[in-house]
Amino acid sequence: MMRDHMVGFKCRLCGNLQYPRHVRCPKCKGTDFEEIELGDECTLLTYTKLYATPEGIEMPPLLLGVVEFPNKVRALGQLVADDVNIGMKLRPTWGKLRILRGKDIYGFKFEPKISLTKKP
Amino acid sequence: MRDVAIIGCGMTKFGRLDGKGLIDLLAEASLKAIDDAGAGDKDFDAVYVANFAAGELTHQTAIASALVDQLSLLPAAADRIENGPASGGSAVKNGFLAVASGVYDLVLVVGGEKMTHVDTDIITDIVATMSQPEAEYVHGVTLPSLAAMFTRLYMQRHGVTERDLAMVAVKNHSNALKNPYAHLQKAATIEGVMNSVMVSDPLRLYHCCPISDGAAAVVLCPADQARKYSDTPVRIAGVGQATDTHAVHEREDPTVLKAVQLASKRAFEMAKLNPSDIDVAELHDAFVILEIAESEDAGFFKKGEGAKALEDGKTTLDGELPINPSGGLKARGHPIGATGVAQIVELTWQLSGEAGERQVKGAERAYCCNFGGFGNNVVAHVLERM
Repeated sequence: MMRDHMVGFKCRLCGNLQYPRHVRCPKCKGTDFEEIELGDECTLLTYTKLYATPEGIEMPPLLLGVVEFPNKVRALGQLVADDVNIGMKLRPTWGKLRILRGKDIYGFKFEPKISLTKKP
Repeated sequence: MRDVAIIGCGMTKFGRLDGKGLIDLLAEASLKAIDDAGAGDKDFDAVYVANFAAGELTHQTAIASALVDQLSLLPAAADRIENGPASGGSAVKNGFLAVASGVYDLVLVVGGEKMTHVDTDIITDIVATMSQPEAEYVHGVTLPSLAAMFTRLYMQRHGVTERDLAMVAVKNHSNALKNPYAHLQKAATIEGVMNSVMVSDPLRLYHCCPISDGAAAVVLCPADQARKYSDTPVRIAGVGQATDTHAVHEREDPTVLKAVQLASKRAFEMAKLNPSDIDVAELHDAFVILEIAESEDAGFFKKGEGAKALEDGKTTLDGELPINPSGGLKARGHPIGATGVAQIVELTWQLSGEAGERQVKGAERAYCCNFGGFGNNVVAHVLERM
């Protein structure tokens, strides 16, 4: 199922934000969460270019990184870029991640954020 | 709680062991440990078998039951213990708790893995399944890729250099040359490590442990019965275990190995000892950066000073705290389920003066750290000569 926005989970008891979801909130052990959109801008914290890829990755090498959203939620994902550096701005984009047991698996990856302001 | 002693040790050679199956390896290490304890005619109360992925790698399950039957240790209690790469440490801990509690008097702990017959990309995938399913695994994460991102952050924040990384590998290869059980029996050079093939930038082949077959075993009994079996028993003075977030990105500071800190603190508290009391250590250097990070988070050096200690030669065989005299996972090899038990075997040999050419002179107290997942489940032990 394609999703428009990458989401995190906000604990309705203590307000803690988490990604991925846990059965109980890591802060207060609450069990009630609401989905919140993580937004369309995040910052690259660390990355690697993986050459020894596992079974099911179609085109090695694979760029992987950890990003941080403005609300401090972090996520790991594939980077769709030729060249990356720590601190660069990225945004989530939906796409095919890999093949697992013969099935195509889709999810969010991260690509460089391109300014949408029109040039004069 | 009773004091617990290690009264026998044994291990197979680590490496590519064609023609030997998983049960063969577990049985070989077990028999050596049982013979070493002089307990060949004894009935054992329990057997703990550490193993990561027998079902996936060798298509055999319920291997503890298979092993006790092969060893004719029936009707001993038998359990397989699986805690990823810390399976061995967990199994030793369970054996310790069983004897300490007074429930069992004679326990065999054996760990093993048979891996080298499987294609590398399939092993890489099986090992990767220990990562967080939705937030890590599905994206193509492998353990080396997590280690690579950790290494990049560590280099950036703590000034660790490529040369430091290479020095860990060179030291551990050099130690392994003195260990007849080690998988990689060849010297490494700084230039050779720094020019080895890239696995996951900035992690190179020589920054990573090999894929190995092998098994290791110990026999445990109450300390007050130990001299019946052994002239040089070793006491398990402290045990600690702690967990951390499954997804590495959820850690407040991803360069801090909190589970290593907590597991070590608990082990030292139980032993009533401090890191400065330790004469020799085995650390979980599946990736060389981990030896540096663990040497800090276990409490031997301040955060950010592990690389300096390495550069100053403090962690070499004749340094003030020799680390990984066995060659570590880097060069002794890493048959996943065997590793935590092999660390205990090496340290028992060190404390009883049986470590041959790699003997740390006069070693009386030892520490080891067995690191599961990417630091989400860590077991630490402190051992002491009796």
